[in-house]
Parts: sequence; C-alpha cells; structure tokens
Amino acid sequence: MGLLGQLLYFSVHPNQLRSILQWKIWHDPVHIRNPQKESATLQECFKYLDLTSRSFSAVIQELNPELLVPIALFYLILRGLDTIEDDMTIPLETKEPLLRDFHNIIEKDGWTFNGNGPAEKDRELLVHFDVVITELKLIKPAYKAIIADITEKMGNGMADYANNAEFNADGVNTVKDYELYCHYVAGLVGEGLTRLFVESKLANPALLSRPELTESMGQFLQKTNIIRDVKEDFDDKRRFYPKEIWSKHVTNFEDLFDPKNLDAALNCSSEMVLNALRHADECLFYMAGIKDQSVFNFVAIPQSMAIATLELVFRNPAVFKKNVKITKGDACQLMLESSTNLRTVCEVFRRYARRIHKKNTPKDPNYLEISIACAKIEQFIESIYPTQDPKQLALAQTGDIDPEKEKKKAEDAEAKKDIFFLLLAVIGTLLVISALMIGAAYLAGARFDVAIDEIKKGKIFPSFDKGSEAAQAVVNQQDHGEL
Amino acid sequence: MAPAQKKTLGKVLVIGGCGFLGHHIVDLLLESYKGKFSVLDLRCTRNRRPDSDGVQYFDGDITSLSSILPIFEKIKPDIVIHTASPAAVGESSQSKTKLRNAMFKKVNVDGTACVIEACQKVNVKALVYTSSASVISDTESDLVNADERWPVVTAQNQKEYYSTTKAVAEGLVLDANRSPAAPSLLTCAIRPAAIFGEGDVQLIPGTLSAYTTNKTGFQLGDNNNLFDFTYVRNIAYAHLLAAYALIATSESPEPIPQEDKVDGEAFIITNDQPVYFWDFARAVWKAAGNQKGTEHVWTIGKDVGLLLATVVEWGTWLIGKDTPFKRRVVRFSCMTRYYDCSKAKRRLGYKPIVSLQEGIQRAVGFWLEEQKREGDKKGQ
Repeated sequence: MGLLGQLLYFSVHPNQLRSILQWKIWHDPVHIRNPQKESATLQECFKYLDLTSRSFSAVIQELNPELLVPIALFYLILRGLDTIEDDMTIPLETKEPLLRDFHNIIEKDGWTFNGNGPAEKDRELLVHFDVVITELKLIKPAYKAIIADITEKMGNGMADYANNAEFNADGVNTVKDYELYCHYVAGLVGEGLTRLFVESKLANPALLSRPELTESMGQFLQKTNIIRDVKEDFDDKRRFYPKEIWSKHVTNFEDLFDPKNLDAALNCSSEMVLNALRHADECLFYMAGIKDQSVFNFVAIPQSMAIATLELVFRNPAVFKKNVKITKGDACQLMLESSTNLRTVCEVFRRYARRIHKKNTPKDPNYLEISIACAKIEQFIESIYPTQDPKQLALAQTGDIDPEKEKKKAEDAEAKKDIFFLLLAVIGTLLVISALMIGAAYLAGARFDVAIDEIKKGKIFPSFDKGSEAAQAVVNQQDHGEL
Repeated sequence: MAPAQKKTLGKVLVIGGCGFLGHHIVDLLLESYKGKFSVLDLRCTRNRRPDSDGVQYFDGDITSLSSILPIFEKIKPDIVIHTASPAAVGESSQSKTKLRNAMFKKVNVDGTACVIEACQKVNVKALVYTSSASVISDTESDLVNADERWPVVTAQNQKEYYSTTKAVAEGLVLDANRSPAAPSLLTCAIRPAAIFGEGDVQLIPGTLSAYTTNKTGFQLGDNNNLFDFTYVRNIAYAHLLAAYALIATSESPEPIPQEDKVDGEAFIITNDQPVYFWDFARAVWKAAGNQKGTEHVWTIGKDVGLLLATVVEWGTWLIGKDTPFKRRVVRFSCMTRYYDCSKAKRRLGYKPIVSLQEGIQRAVGFWLEEQKREGDKKGQ
C-alpha cells in the first residue's frame, strides 16, 4: 500500500489510525532495556532477535530485567533449531543429528553453522550463533537448565517429524496427531516459559501443577497460526489440518482451495476454529497466574492477537486464497488492551467470542458446538469476574438494608457536605476580594459617600446629561485641545 | 454411559413415573441400577414399561394421603423420587388462570406435603424432589451464571405462580430433612433448568411451532443472551445420583463433611452447555430439517418487541382472542438465564451424560416420529 493508499485507507478508518497513534504515543513500556550496559555479544544477540522476529522482539525487550536475557536467548536458540528443521536444502543425515544434539551444541564455545541454503531468511543467526552461546553461559544456571531441557525435547520431537515419511507426504492424520505436533512446536515453548516465570518468582507456582493450562496457551497460538496459514503452507507443500477433520468436508485436501467447494472449505475451517476455541478459557485461567506486569503483557498480547485472528479467519473465504492478517490498527488496539490487566483481556476475549458467534450460521454442521464454545468463554469470564452478587440480590428481595446502598447513601451525604463547604469557600473568597477592592478604591480616593447619596436618591445609574453648563464648556474646551 | 456394574438402589418409588421426566427416570433406573422399582401416578396409562421389566404401577392421587398411604405401606420404599407436577403452561383467560393456579397449589404444595407425610410414616430413607431452577428466577431479571447461593424468589416478587408453588414445596421437602417427625428421612431437591427431551410438551413443540408456521425469520433481542436448556436424561441421571448419595449418607457411619453434604441441599442441574438463546431455537429448527441460515432474519430490539407485544396483546384482547406473541415471551427471549452447576458436579459427581446436540437430535427425532404417526392416523 503506497502512501496515498494509506492516506485513503485511514481517512475512512480513522479508528485504526487512532489506535496506531495511541500505541505509538502512549504506550509506556514497563521496562526498557539499556543497550549501553550490555556487552557487545549481547547487543549482537538483540540484533538477531530483531532480525528473526519482528512481533516478538518488541515484547521480549520490554520484559522484566530478570528474564529479559534468558527469554531472548531461549527464543534465539529455538529459532536456531527451527531454522535447521525448516531448511529443506539440508539433507536428513546432517539435519537429524544436529536437531537431536542441539542441547549439547548450545554448550560448545564458538559453534556456528553455515550449512543453511542461501535462501533461508534466518541463516545469519546460525552463522553467528557463537554470540548466543557466549551469552547463555552467563545466565543463572537454573534458567540455563530449563532452556537446555526444552531444547532437547523439542530437538528430538523435530527429528522425529523430519524422519516421519508419512507425515511429510500426507500431513497430519488424526486430531491427536495434530495436537501432538502443536505440542512439540508450541506446547514445549510454553512449558519452558512457565518454568522460567515460576523460577524467577514472577508467576504463581500453581501453574506448574496445572500443565494443561500451559499446554492450552501454546496450542491456542499454534492452532490459530495453522488455520490462518493454510494457503501459504499448502503452497509450500505442507499441510497441518488433520485429515480427521478435513476429510469430513472434502475428498482431497487440495479441494479446499477450489472455489466451487467454498462452502465445504468454510465448514472445514470453522471446525478447525472450534477446535482451537476450546482452549480459550484455559488460556485466560493461565494468565490469572502471572504476577508481573511485563510478563503479563508478554503472554497476553499474543493470546489477544490469536483470538482476534480466529475471528478474522472464521468463515472468511479469503483464507483459502491468501494469507490474511489483522490490520495494524487492530493489532495496536489489542496491544494497548493486552498490556493492562486480565479483566481487559477478558473483555477482548468476550468481544471476539461474540463476534464469532454473530458470524456463526445454522448452515454450518458445527453450528451449535461453536455457539457453545463461544458461550463457554463468556461463562468462564463470568466465573472469575461475576456481574451478579447473590448476597445483594437476597437483600434486594427482602427489602432489607443493603450495605452497598447504605454506603452509597453515606457517600452521597458526604458529597453534599463537600459541595456546601466548597460554596462557602467560594463565597468567602469573593467577600474577601470585594473587601480588598473596595478598600483599595477607598484608599485611592473613591467617594462612596457621594455614591451612596446618589443611590439614596434612587439614581442607580449615573446620568451625564445633568452636568452643569460650565462643566460642559470645560470638557468641550479640553476635548478640542486634545484633538 | 451407564455404569459398567449396576449399582443397587433397593426399593425405589417414582411418583409421576408416567410423566415426561418420571418415565425417563424409570428408563434410566432399569438401564443402570439394580432394585425393585414402582411407579405411582394419577393414571398409569401412558409411558408404561412392558410388564417384563417388572415395574409395578399404582394409580394414586398425591393430594390425598388416604389415597397414597396404602400404596406406600405396600411398597415400603427405601427411596422416593417425587417428580409429579402439572406442566407450567400459561392459560389465556383469567378464569382459566385461576383454576390453573389452584391446581399448581394443590398438586405442588399440598401434594408434596402429603408425600412427605407418607414418607415419614413408612420410614422412607431418601426423598428426592424435582424442584425447578425457576425458583431463583422472577421471570424478568437476568440470571448470570447463577448458582445455589442465589436467593429463592419470594412469593411477592415472583411473577410466575407456578414457580412460587415449586419454591414452597422445595422448602417443605428440605425442611423435612432429618426433621424431628422422622429423623432418618434424608431429603434433597433437584432444580432442572429448562428441561427438554422426548415427550416434552413445552420447549420442543413450542420452539418447533415457530418453524412449522414459518416464523423463523424473526429474532427478538440481540441474541447475546445466554440460556441453559437441559436434556431430560441428564436430569433423570442427576436424580438417581442424588438418591444414591442420600442412601450412602444414611448408611455412612461417619458424618459427611459440610462441603460434601447432599441431604437438605438443593442442586441446580443443567447440560453445562449454556448457549445463546436463539442459537438453541435455530439448532432445533435445523434438526427438524430447516435449511435456512440467518440471512432472512429480522432482528427486533427488546424495546420495540415489548411495544409491539403490548399492542398485539390489547388488540387480541379487544377481539377476544389469544396470541402467542406476549410481553412475557419477549422478555423471556431477551433474558439471560444460565447457571453454574458446579455444586452438583462436586457433591453428586454429576456430569451430563448426553450432549446438548445429541439431546436436540433425539428430542426432535421423537417429535418428527410423533407428527408422522399423527399424520398417518389422520390419513386413515
């Protein structure tokens, strides 16, 4: 979109522009990283973070200093792993041992890798991977152990998938396989992050005893991406929609992209959305366990983006033609709302759940199930932020004194008193000022006695026509002189 | 669905066992439990099990102790499940409403008092009463994720007399728990929210009449209001769980901790799947064969709807007719009314055994069959 195009767009969508400006002007990071105090290698790490991730880089850099470097390095290591796994120019014999051994590689001083194809966009990171390794040595051992553990699990998972010929030829079969795949690429990241949050005491340790909540966080994000990227992945000859779902709607996976099967394709995509939506309540529950504002923003922003993306792709035919994305204005709006508190994030979830519900149609085979899933989100939010209070309702019924109402009455009385004193103060001030002014006028020689006499005679307004002729003459003379 | 090994319940008497909910309870008893089952109903003609199932049927009128006491003495039940209640349908004219209300009072309040007395006289161990989730709804105010802490609507605030009688009866039953008159009798109440299923005469036929008369093109309110509809089988299941829990309590050597207590308690029962009000109706229409989406739907706001209904009500009153389009209906379809059934989940181990989708499928399937049978009859 050129500048002119953007101008036109924003002139009809002023809210979008407003959100962008608000974010740019008013967003106040909880923490700001200070590059001056960083070593050269660490600065370089952040350079690669910027290069490899535009969306995550910003939120990572606003993290609490305790976790800033560990999470940045965690991201870079997983990105490194991903860059090896993703690159189809690397032969399997080279790839597999690298993936399986990556948790040891990150301990090897000076290790770099230049085996990526020239087209690989993140190849630079691996070419200079030694900086990541250098910095990893400097973080707290507890954090390092968590990072290494997740790296090992994920590396093995990726190697298994790279080896799995069936998976590579036919994609994912069952919903269970689909969720296992999402576990390896996203659930594990979530597990690592939760452990880092709890280790640093920035999250409630209870999160560790409810691993399904962490898992839902990862599943929700990954499934949303998979649903949104279906066309892009298909063009890259990858398919992640499980056959168990798409085969209910079309005979062959490629039929989804044929415009004449649009209805079936939409039903398929909405079943995928339904499957993802079921994680939403657990995601909200998880976020309730975060204690630190910067960590909250870090986890909540992607979640809000995900529910908004689900709404965007839901029953949207464009998904099968191109890669759809939420607008920049919406993204800014969501970032603003997600960097406040859980209640606001709940409002975001409720808003988008209702939008999905509004788009839902009885023609969809999963009509009722989708409606129930949206309602479940609303019910969950209600369970943590109830709008009704049974005690109040009971009091209202019996007509008894309601403590809340009494409190309000007392507050109102207090407010009335305040207003009385305020008026008193205003009148007092006016009196004092008037006295001062009158006094000053008196000292300056004002003839109040004359004025009072005049008023006594009933002449409120001064009359000039009554002046004596002599006086008039003097005035006239003076006037001529002056002019 | 049914427990792998059938649990034993002993002698169970289902009052109203030929009614809509009652006969589903009898079906589930036979499917999932061992014991000796009897039914007491005003007239045991419909919804009877075949004789081979061994269910004993007794005709009796619960509003008269002398009518039911001999039956109680004969059966000597361990468990009584009291489901008998007239259907909560409104009447058109004032005089009919008066009659109807008198009947609500007679059956629900006086009848339940008789049942309690009979239970106390023959040493029944457990009495499970079918109350209604409407006891906490005044039919106008929203109920948002309401649970058992919500107050029972008092008679002067309750606009639906049926609900008042259910609330009074529920109070009688719960007061009878471990009462001095018979300390060994344990009681509890089940409060189902908007029951539907095979053989229901209210929700499913009412919803489908809009479809058969081609009125699916209207929507009152913004359809953001959530509502609970509960499939009858799940409610039957909750009754049996409650009966089982009461027996377990009465046999338990140790007192049950307060937070696990079942006796003397009321339990809200839902499908645990609230939905947007009109989505339920559309799912029902769809199950009956409706192919339409929502493109043709006209949305009428609540205020406009109330205004229109007022005009229609007056208009039809003037010409001496009745209309289904009442202010009450408008309020109902714009109201939020859903519950949190966690207490039943926690204390009874309740979990819906049939999903909302499956329930709708079964209920509408049954209704379609029935229509066909009636059509065939007329054709003959």
